[in-house]
Amino acid sequence: MGRQRTFDEDEVVRAAVGLFGGRAYDGVSVDDLVTHLGVHRNSLYKTFGSKRGLYLAALRRHLGDDVRPLAEALAAAPDAATVLRLVTAADLGLLLLAVVDRAPADEEVAAEVAAALAGIDQAIADALHIPTALAAGLTAAALGIVLRGNPDGVGAALTQRFDRQGK
Amino acid sequence: MALVHIDGDDLVVVIEGLDKLWAFKSSLTIPLANVRGATADPGIAADPKGIRAPGAHVPGVITAGTFHLDGEKVFWDVKDPSKAVVIELDDERYARLVLQVDNPRETVTLVENALR
Repeated sequence: MGRQRTFDEDEVVRAAVGLFGGRAYDGVSVDDLVTHLGVHRNSLYKTFGSKRGLYLAALRRHLGDDVRPLAEALAAAPDAATVLRLVTAADLGLLLLAVVDRAPADEEVAAEVAAALAGIDQAIADALHIPTALAAGLTAAALGIVLRGNPDGVGAALTQRFDRQGK
Repeated sequence: MALVHIDGDDLVVVIEGLDKLWAFKSSLTIPLANVRGATADPGIAADPKGIRAPGAHVPGVITAGTFHLDGEKVFWDVKDPSKAVVIELDDERYARLVLQVDNPRETVTLVENALR
């Protein structure tokens, strides 16, 4: 029997989303987690098993809390301009970092992010009545625009072409 | 120093050299089903370790043996904190192992991959 948990697991996982979403996995030490999440080291290990265990919990939380609502909103988007606006406005920090940083090294992470991205593709395909492959292309472009800091005019140039041809 | 390897469905930890005297152990075999994860954690050596019995604890030199902290037993074998790996266990005599290994990153990957 361990001692009772004296922290809110839910809050800790949510805070971990912010920490892992802002820095590469190897850049977040257990000391960082202990300091920023306000949890004792022992409780952290007892609850999540490992740093990776906490990371997976945080990633799943991010996909459920931030990415799924985006997919739901995208499913009702009337045009590509709305799609781009929704994607660039969403908090996708941990998803984007996971794609680059952890997915190549961790099959479980790779499977989670692939499923989440497929969900976004499908929502766009359904909303704009376009093939899934084309929707995936639009998702890729939208995420690329986010990564490049949403430079002026780029999104508009893309969606104007897209929406004109789609009509 | 500890050597960590996977043997079938078990995680095997071999304590090397004189450490086995201080640690009162030469090896540990734990079913993978009771292993929850592994983490490289250089900072853990700076945390309170609890009460030692049996084993050796010369602060700054060696931490080896069984430590009791918050009602849990933790097995330590660490001289160089920068190479410390924490292996969390379930349903075992020890709640966790804190081991010094040659290559923490490799050991963490080895253990985490064995759990998938």
